[in-house]
Amino acid sequence: MGVDVPRTVRTALADRPVRGRVCLEAGAGVGNATAGLLDAGASRVYAVTNDPEHAAAVRERLGRTHPDRLVVVEADLRATPLATDSVDVVTAHGLCNVLDPPALDRVAAELSRVARPDAHLVVDDYAPPPEEAAVSRLFALENAAARLVDGRPLLTFYPADLLAGVFAGHGWAFERRETLLDPVPWTEAHLKAHANEVRDRAAALPSALGDPLEAMADDLVDDIGSERAGEMYSLAFRRTDE
Amino acid sequence: METRPLGDTGQESAVMTFGAIALNWLEQEGANQMVELVLDHGVNHFDVAPTYGDAELKLGPKLRQHRDDIFLGCKTQERDYEGAKRKLERSLDRLGVDSIDLHQFHGLEYEEELDTITGDGGALEVYREAKAEGKIDHIGLTSHGDPDLILDAIDRIDDLETVMFPYNPVVAGKDDAEHDYEAVLERCEAEGIGTLGIKAFAKGPWPSTDELPEADRPYANWYEPVDSPDEIRERFDFAASRGLDTVVNPGDPKLVAMVLDAASRYEGMDEARQRALIEELRHEDSPVPEQLHH
Ligand SMILES: C[S@@+](CC[C@H](N)C(=O)[O-])C[C@H]1O[C@@H](n2cnc3c(N)ncnc32)[C@H](O)[C@@H]1O
Repeated sequence: MGVDVPRTVRTALADRPVRGRVCLEAGAGVGNATAGLLDAGASRVYAVTNDPEHAAAVRERLGRTHPDRLVVVEADLRATPLATDSVDVVTAHGLCNVLDPPALDRVAAELSRVARPDAHLVVDDYAPPPEEAAVSRLFALENAAARLVDGRPLLTFYPADLLAGVFAGHGWAFERRETLLDPVPWTEAHLKAHANEVRDRAAALPSALGDPLEAMADDLVDDIGSERAGEMYSLAFRRTDE
Repeated sequence: METRPLGDTGQESAVMTFGAIALNWLEQEGANQMVELVLDHGVNHFDVAPTYGDAELKLGPKLRQHRDDIFLGCKTQERDYEGAKRKLERSLDRLGVDSIDLHQFHGLEYEEELDTITGDGGALEVYREAKAEGKIDHIGLTSHGDPDLILDAIDRIDDLETVMFPYNPVVAGKDDAEHDYEAVLERCEAEGIGTLGIKAFAKGPWPSTDELPEADRPYANWYEPVDSPDEIRERFDFAASRGLDTVVNPGDPKLVAMVLDAASRYEGMDEARQRALIEELRHEDSPVPEQLHH
């Protein structure tokens, strides 16, 4: 207790053996899944992110209470600095939607490499939101801005079947699918965070291009306020010896 | 309206319990109509207290008319023998009935109160005597307090048959021991203790009195309630689907009809949707300022 573990994370981990196991949280973000793994009794959690601010946030949130079990690693998951066959449980909670297909494939390959034979994998993500959902317009704008600045989209929402197929291709046998959230609550705080992603990119563009993008993002957030749309699912796999 | 066993009391209560505090803000004629309305919807469990203004007196006439159709819950805040006895007699008198079906220790907050209640010359003696005399049928407890205190009470009062406590998606989303009413639900389930949910419709505290003077609040509740039919229905479905036997309406009479409608149409809520509600409100005061994901 002490740390707040979201129900989504608790539910996704409930039927996986975490206690006493070495875990890898791929894409640590703000540390929600990391908190869940620690709370569930992991002997060690490697929380990997390529974002220094996220790494600092996770250390700040969880490092003090779990100095002996948490290792925050700042690295690219496409070349994960962990030994082959070293991890019992891998989680990717809300990671895949920030990976474009080529990155997803490389990350999946790496996760297989570092996992022990017989390891468990939990992949939680969002189904593509319905086209008529207002948040879809904000996500589309975000992707347009990201394509202009980064040369690739920021968000890719993979249907559960598709993700299951990608991981199966890297030696993971599918075990179960569960619905974590339905509908997904996109709160004002979420939408503002997404608008900030647009703003960050707009700042890198000439103002004739950046300003209207930023204005569109702000208008959308004002317009939408908050919305419930789509589904968040959880997939669980077991490593098979190929 | 769906009914459920109230723990092992033998009572089958409708999923909505009528919180008769609502009568306090109505004239007698309106109070009579309100009682008829809730009975028409199939509500068969009423809850009242001597501290709810005139509610006992206003409930009296219709309660007497329909006495056999109503499972009556009452309470006292008195912790010692003399006080509890006086208040019980007063409630029977004001309600105009011979017996109360469920008498509850009201608003337990501190461990010391539990000591007084269960000690020599404590209120529990009154409850037990009254039970032997047929003046009350079952003994219960209500508390907004620490879930641990409720668990203690269950340990220390072995004839306790029901508990009433706050439960809503905000409370359910908090992980600390202070909000762990789920432990209470589990314990009650295991021991056959009936559970009644309050504050299911709480949205949050009222704005400060500087911003909104008490006299300008649109509802009589001491918290700000949700007040649209959809939100009421969602909150009702959430509370009723998470293990509570029955859910008490918010105190303001203006909200009662909406809750009746929600309770009449109750069909459960699936777990992914329960989690969605918890998740949505968890962000209200998330420790993480900026959040892309759930
Ligand atoms: C949105 S967060 C996921 C939420 C997080 N799992 C949680 O439970 O709070 C995605 C994380 O993945 C990280 N990430 C994205 N691509 C990455 C990559 N190629 N290598 C390492 N980390 C990456 C991001 O920096 C971010 O920390």
